[in-house]
Amino acid sequence: MRHFTEEELIAYQLQESSEGAAIGRHLEDCSECADISESIAETLRVFSADPTPPPDLEINWQRLRGNLSVLTPESRGSWRWAWPAVGLATAALILLTFFGVHAHHGNDPKHNMAVNGHGPITTEPANPAIANHLDAAERLLTEVNNSSGPLDDATREQAHTLLLKNAVYVHDARESGDLASAAVLENFGRVLTTLDNEPPTSHGTWRLRLEMNTSGLLLDIRVLRQNDDLSQGVSQ
Amino acid sequence: MSNRRMDKAETEAIRAVLAGDRDAYRVLMDRHFCAVARVAFRITGNQDDAEEAAQEAFLRAYNKLPNFRQDSKFSTWIMRIVMNTAINLVERRNRDLSYHAPRVAEETSAADHTVRVADRQAGPESILLNREASSMRRAAMAELTPMERTAFTLRHMEDVPMTEIAAALNVTTNSAKQAVFRAVSKLRRSLTPVAGGLR
Repeated sequence: MRHFTEEELIAYQLQESSEGAAIGRHLEDCSECADISESIAETLRVFSADPTPPPDLEINWQRLRGNLSVLTPESRGSWRWAWPAVGLATAALILLTFFGVHAHHGNDPKHNMAVNGHGPITTEPANPAIANHLDAAERLLTEVNNSSGPLDDATREQAHTLLLKNAVYVHDARESGDLASAAVLENFGRVLTTLDNEPPTSHGTWRLRLEMNTSGLLLDIRVLRQNDDLSQGVSQ
Repeated sequence: MSNRRMDKAETEAIRAVLAGDRDAYRVLMDRHFCAVARVAFRITGNQDDAEEAAQEAFLRAYNKLPNFRQDSKFSTWIMRIVMNTAINLVERRNRDLSYHAPRVAEETSAADHTVRVADRQAGPESILLNREASSMRRAAMAELTPMERTAFTLRHMEDVPMTEIAAALNVTTNSAKQAVFRAVSKLRRSLTPVAGGLR
């Protein structure tokens, strides 16, 4: 008499077996397999569904609703014809970047990079300490983007310190005419202000991430940092 | 043909959302959020992460709604999205060892980040028994890999078909089945001290 394996008996108990009828007949005659089969059934009973905490629909809807953009038929259909345009625009951008980089290496020590639609920025390092500030900003935003619960006290303290310093860098950027950098740092300041003033709630960082587009801001900060690194390299 | 698969109210709601009425999405949320959050809870093991994953899934579904072809049910689609979202969240949490979200346990404890699910019908005796059983179950489940745990809980506790589990885990149906079988086998062995040895 061929005995069935544990795996075959598990499949039988989960009703996933293709030979259910044969196994059923076998279990009537084989006490050894019947014992294992019963042990599997007992395991499934023990690990049956526990109650789960019911979510608050109203609260969840309110949170979700704030993040829903209005969908329109125009926006739905627009991408089909927009792809060739996007392709052309990308090609043009690559060409511009290529020639821009070469022109830059040829004679102009300054270089420009667009930051999320804020236009070209001046990358003269007005203040060498800004590299550290941007570095800290990047680390904090990464932390915000990767956590959903409340931030720990050390991170909130860091946010407070950065907030105080950030105002100085915004001022410096404006003074030097670097409006794009100023805009990015101002956005960062708004995130810091929210972090500094809001009580630590379980969904604080999650909401912050969505409402203040911290992912986009992180990208801006990284571009700023890269620009700063490049300009440091050029000046050395 | 496609509309036969979808509930009429849901089809109408999707049409309204696509026409610019975002409040119509509430119909879909009212119908499916609890089930979606429950599945997320089975995967993540705690309420905060479950609700975050459920919300993220609904947000993703909303943004992808223009591409939803309605040849499958919205419930199937959103379940697939939430499984992915919840699994990703668990993996992210595993990488971030400093994160401790509240978990469900037999007692609420701030130190252990645990909360207790209210059971209004339980008496003192059953609470004691439940505590032991719950503790044992939790320890056994913790021994499973994320894939085994996900596949097992969805198949056994939520009755999700193997094909859907496989699609969400991005593995073949056979691999998903093997994960469930391995999970049951491990859990059965974990009962050895309780049952007095495997038979």
